Amino acid sequence: MNLRGGWALIRGTWLSWMQHRAFFFILAFGWMVPPLVSLLVWSAAAGQDSLGGYDRGGFVAYYLVLIFVNQFTYAQANWTLGDVIRMGGLNTWLLQPLPAVYQVLSSEAAGKTVTLAFVLPVAGALALILRPELQVSGSALLLFLLSLALAWLLRFMWGYWLALLAFWYTRADALLAVQDALVFLLSGVVAPVTLLPAFLQGAARLLPFRYMVGFPVEVLLGGLPAAEVTFGLAVQAGWAALAVMLAALMWRAGIKRYSAVGG
Amino acid sequence: MVWMKLIGAFMRASAQEELAYRENFWMQVLHSLLNLAVGVLGISVLFTQVQHISGWNYSSALAILGVYLIVSALRGLFIGPSLEALAGLGQEIWNGQFDFTLLRPANTRFLVTFRRWRFFALFDLLLGVGVLAVAVSRAQQPVSLLNWLFFGLTLLAAVVLLYAALLAFTSLAFQSPGMVFTWVFDAIFQLARYPVQIYPPALRFTLTWLVPVGMMTSIPAQALTGQLNGWMLAGSLALAAAMLVGASWVFDRATRRYASASS
Repeated sequence: MNLRGGWALIRGTWLSWMQHRAFFFILAFGWMVPPLVSLLVWSAAAGQDSLGGYDRGGFVAYYLVLIFVNQFTYAQANWTLGDVIRMGGLNTWLLQPLPAVYQVLSSEAAGKTVTLAFVLPVAGALALILRPELQVSGSALLLFLLSLALAWLLRFMWGYWLALLAFWYTRADALLAVQDALVFLLSGVVAPVTLLPAFLQGAARLLPFRYMVGFPVEVLLGGLPAAEVTFGLAVQAGWAALAVMLAALMWRAGIKRYSAVGG
Repeated sequence: MVWMKLIGAFMRASAQEELAYRENFWMQVLHSLLNLAVGVLGISVLFTQVQHISGWNYSSALAILGVYLIVSALRGLFIGPSLEALAGLGQEIWNGQFDFTLLRPANTRFLVTFRRWRFFALFDLLLGVGVLAVAVSRAQQPVSLLNWLFFGLTLLAAVVLLYAALLAFTSLAFQSPGMVFTWVFDAIFQLARYPVQIYPPALRFTLTWLVPVGMMTSIPAQALTGQLNGWMLAGSLALAAAMLVGASWVFDRATRRYASASS
């Protein structure tokens, strides 16, 4: 692993992305709207009562944290990876004395900092207007940080192995769109998982998607029993490990098949 | 009519282009079905928890989703692709090919509005009509002829409003090429999936009169269920006319700023 070169690449990408920050602010705004719509819809639905354990302030807190987690774990780099493989941009990557994953990680790091520079102030301003009700214990915060890191690893690696399918099939990015739809439905964006109908809840508990966004939020809000948190972290780590393995396998098999289109 | 002949020629050229990528068809089907599933499930989940929200029940909310899908499909049929060819990423304003559009012996605004067609959008239109039909058939009383007429009028106003808003946002691209301002509109448009009445008062006012995405879906759905008063009907038609005139003026002014792409 060429750490010095990797760091230089990450820094360079970050600096160049900061020049175009207005462009990424627009992108980030688009990504934060679906959870924001859910926030408004559910706080209107709750009114003075509570639904599934959330009252109006609870929904606001849930969705503001979710907006942050969603942006933090969203791996936009995987969308470009497919194009790079299809268009032959990978040739340049392969010639550099760096593992290719650094290229993706550098746009991940650059994208994260640029978009969060927009999302965090906006979420902060919304918190002032909408008054969330949030009480966080120290242990919940620690568990949140752990599950947030795992969520990022899982979502990034899951998108990475899907994007690597571009070695075999040129329209593999359709699977990324399917992943986004499943995240929207099962990961607590359209509604907190506890409010979903039973069969969707069962699916959400076992499939990887809830563990990409919704799970860390539920951990932070402290609504989950301890056993459920442990179970969730185990499932999350399991899926993340599987995704890392799949990504490594796909990369090794794909690179042999790659025939350098274009230049 | 020379205009109709031109539109016919644009349609033929676009159809030939689209037919060249036949494999894309199934991907587009997949995207449309995902979009439908996400919309329907989103509303269904909400109404498993509550019976009514701000005066809307399940079937009238479904009617809004139907109108949303229909309006989006009409946008995708020609307004979206045509304006995208003008101000999308790396398109005419950006790379200077707008020169050739300006030089053509036809009205520029006419050209940028009608020149690209995407006939796959008719499939989306069918899905939207399907959702609307389900919503109408679930309603307690049948829709009267007068309400269908009002629905037609407000739907027409909705499409005009959508076109005017997109034209105005597109005009901004002349100020700073490289920014895709219509993405901002796309993000706001997602709020139109739900009744505008559920949003807080200030936002509701904005979405009805300033960036009238609420006017585009809630008002036609209200016309269908007979909840629309005469004032709102007149208001939506007047707003559509005013915004069309205003946006055309803004666009014509903006094209004067165009200075081609050469340095």
